[in-house]
Amino acid sequence: MVHPVIAQPVGPRPLPGRPRARAILGGLLALAVVAAGTAPAAAQDGASGEGETRAGTIEAQQKAKAGDLKPYAPNKAEVWVKKLEEQFLTGNMNWHPWFTSAYPGGGFTVGAGYLSHVGSYETIDVRGSYTFSNYKRIESEFVAPRLFGRRGRLSVLGGWREAPQVNFFGVGNDSAQEGLSNYGFRQPYGAALLEVRPTRGVLVTSAGAEISQWDQFAGEGSSPSVDTLYGDLNGLGAKITYLHTQATVALDSRASAEYARRGGFYGVTIHNYADRDDAYTFNQVDYEAIQHIPILRDAWVLSLRGRVQTTMREGDEQVPFFLLPGLGSGSTLRGYQNLRFRDRHSLLMQAEWRVLVNSFIDAAIFFDAGKVAARKADLDLNDLHSDVGIGFRLHGPFSTPLRIELARGSEGFNLVFGASASF
Amino acid sequence: MFTLRQCSPPSLRRAAAAAVVVAAVLAAAGHSPRTASPRFYSDDPLQREPEVADASSAAEWDIDLFYDLAYQLFVTAGKAPTNTRAGNINTVDEVPDSSWFTNRIGARPITAAELQRGPVTGPAPASDKWVLTREKSAGAAPGFTARDANGETWFVSFDAKANPRGATAAVVISTKIFWALGYNQVEYFVTEFDQDKTTIDPAATKRRPSGERTPITRDDVRELLEQVPREAGRPLRAAAGRMLPGRVIGGFRYQGTRPDDPNDVVPHEHRRELRALRVFGAWTNLTDMKAGNTLDTVVPHQGRSVVRHYLQDVGSTFGVGAQGPHDWNEGWEYIYQGSSTKRRLLTFGFGLSPWQTADYPDHPAVGRFEGASFAPETWKPRAPTLAYIEMRDDDAFWAARRVMAFSDDLIRAVVATGEIGDPAQEKYLADTLILRRDKIGRAYLPKINPIVDPVLGANGELSFGNAAVQYRFAPAPTSYTATWARFDNATGATTPIGQTTSTEPRMQAPAGLPTAPGSFIELELSARHPNHPSWERPVLVHFRRNGAGWTLVGLQRLPERQAGVTTR
Repeated sequence: MVHPVIAQPVGPRPLPGRPRARAILGGLLALAVVAAGTAPAAAQDGASGEGETRAGTIEAQQKAKAGDLKPYAPNKAEVWVKKLEEQFLTGNMNWHPWFTSAYPGGGFTVGAGYLSHVGSYETIDVRGSYTFSNYKRIESEFVAPRLFGRRGRLSVLGGWREAPQVNFFGVGNDSAQEGLSNYGFRQPYGAALLEVRPTRGVLVTSAGAEISQWDQFAGEGSSPSVDTLYGDLNGLGAKITYLHTQATVALDSRASAEYARRGGFYGVTIHNYADRDDAYTFNQVDYEAIQHIPILRDAWVLSLRGRVQTTMREGDEQVPFFLLPGLGSGSTLRGYQNLRFRDRHSLLMQAEWRVLVNSFIDAAIFFDAGKVAARKADLDLNDLHSDVGIGFRLHGPFSTPLRIELARGSEGFNLVFGASASF
Repeated sequence: MFTLRQCSPPSLRRAAAAAVVVAAVLAAAGHSPRTASPRFYSDDPLQREPEVADASSAAEWDIDLFYDLAYQLFVTAGKAPTNTRAGNINTVDEVPDSSWFTNRIGARPITAAELQRGPVTGPAPASDKWVLTREKSAGAAPGFTARDANGETWFVSFDAKANPRGATAAVVISTKIFWALGYNQVEYFVTEFDQDKTTIDPAATKRRPSGERTPITRDDVRELLEQVPREAGRPLRAAAGRMLPGRVIGGFRYQGTRPDDPNDVVPHEHRRELRALRVFGAWTNLTDMKAGNTLDTVVPHQGRSVVRHYLQDVGSTFGVGAQGPHDWNEGWEYIYQGSSTKRRLLTFGFGLSPWQTADYPDHPAVGRFEGASFAPETWKPRAPTLAYIEMRDDDAFWAARRVMAFSDDLIRAVVATGEIGDPAQEKYLADTLILRRDKIGRAYLPKINPIVDPVLGANGELSFGNAAVQYRFAPAPTSYTATWARFDNATGATTPIGQTTSTEPRMQAPAGLPTAPGSFIELELSARHPNHPSWERPVLVHFRRNGAGWTLVGLQRLPERQAGVTTR
């Protein structure tokens, strides 16, 4: 039946902090109810209830509420959430966290950026980060995401970074774990990268140029500085200014590089590192293939990745040790320390069995295998370093803001924290 | 040793003192208390909820969708049902007409033609010319707000690229289904959208990522239409929803009341028609059941303003959403659900859920919508509402009868209005709705005492129906029993008359029924069935003597507060 419902208190508000008054009022109310109950039956027109109506009781409630209308007032939590939304989703976000370290191996990173729009879609982001191992980075990036009829994206970046204790275990696939040393570098850089999807489909082309200077210094970590263990490294101590150009052609059918459950990426990137002093000029080619295969309606995703990096010298020039392709931790050989293996060429193969736990969390077990080699011909399946691990990822539809992975390789366990997808 | 004074909170002591005072007064009065008002009023059972207060001061509010979603997922989902009887039903267990709800199917015959017309009262859009006036303000479906060739404003939405005719058919069909079920609906049409005959109002703007609003450009239109499927040699297909009359004041929540609407006095979680969306939503797979898909408008009514409540967006039905097919787990799980999260985490995904093995035929216009694995009682929207949590078995029974009122022919007729254009897909959609309808009836009609529509003739013959038997979800019970009593409407006291039993849904009243006009009798009607012990819990029925006949004034299928947990 439509019975009187006290949707919300009407009339006088309760007296806060006056429990005794409330008790007295409650007692009086109870007396009033009792008094009503003892009223003569005739007052209610005997058995029929005529004179009073159901509609009348409801109308009385409505009239009572009409005298106590209030505008909707969102609670504190809703106000807070709305503010966050306005910050992040409506173009008003200026300050934002930034967890990108100056260089791999920096450890836990704290950072922030200030992003402002300079057009309807164009942004400038000024950001900086710091790690407890004293890695520093500050940079500014301009992004124009909708060029050439929404086919092109331009990024222009300028900044400076310092990494005081980058791992170096020596060159070669059989370098010893005990050979750990470290080095530091400072680097100012300026870069531009234009990415174009000619058909707004899967074909991706990009081209970019970067000018930067590598200024080395002795490592600051607990391990010895690289110059004390490895005195004859190519480029050791050199201050090299590079004009680095690159071009990529790829087929990318993923919804996003940062989170995908289906689709793939097949691309080739050619790099040219031109030393202004013509001592360390070299070329590098990266071949990469990624495929995500959903299984049983996304209950699982089998994700596969293969990557080959090869470097080619020009004449008798050398590839500096700090730009040799490397494997270890991050999103490569996750059971090993950062940049555990380095050499002229590298091979990496990865497989992940990803579990869709819910709309925001994925778990994964993974297997990584890879090697580095001095000759391209040695990039075979012999002497591979491998690891297995388990990971948990917090993700959105197109991003992976947090990745935590524990992997075990032949040298023990390694814990990886990432602010991006593994691949 | 603890004493009451030492261990009881002050408020408890005061309450106890007040109770003592009340008890003393009652004792002094010398008789037991009686009801302050009669059980039945002269206008019972109410056919329409009154709305006497002026709601012109109701102001627009903006329910934050993200907050609402988070609250439903992490707060509402953890609440236990209170088993409170619905607060807006009349004395015969029905929902009166109101600004929320209008009794249609199940309350009166609906013809196929009427159902196919649904909420539509005006002409279709004049689609030979469109003027875009702004970006679409609601919903995730790609679309615009636009004026047609006659200058009327419409909300124009399109299909997802992978699901031609899916979203547009779903919204057109669903608005008619939900209209028939009783809800206020937007008038939707399948229409055409020719890009070459479309202009942009110079004042039309779009909100950019920077937050600024700038004029809509041709490229904005192109960008949106790139997401839309195209059929060779034909204009784009769209769905057009007529702008609602009145002043828009935002959506409604599925709990509490609007503080600025004086006529909104029943908490929404206790409105039966909102609880019933758990059943109607399961039938149609209305997974996006959120405040953001509702709309309140202030409209003139009998010389004052009232708030009219709409289920504005029922386009997330069946198996296709605005962006493409529903997620695999839609209809099976909340977006976040602790239990399934834990299970999949602990079993590394090998603890399979039903949605992972359900069979979905390849019907792009229908999407992921099936009936074979469908389980009405475990169906879930993307996020729960408090009304969904609060639904009781009597609410579900009421809703299931309305679902069952859709005959096969009616279902096929309403599906045809979606103009899917593929007989196989239309047939599959209709067949699936029929299969799900029957599963709903089978789940909810036999679950509690299914005696319905009792009639007491002037000659003393009592007849009634059995909803579970009517639809063959259960064989007839071995017997029906009626316990008869005089009923004092003023005090609620009953005086036994006798008991009658029959194997048929009819029986003769015992001698001794009152004959005075305005007198009442109370019946407890129950049924005995070996497979359905719940049928033995009687339905409480009241008749009032009107002249020479009897009028049904009361029917209560379950108590006001049912002990224990009901539908989950």
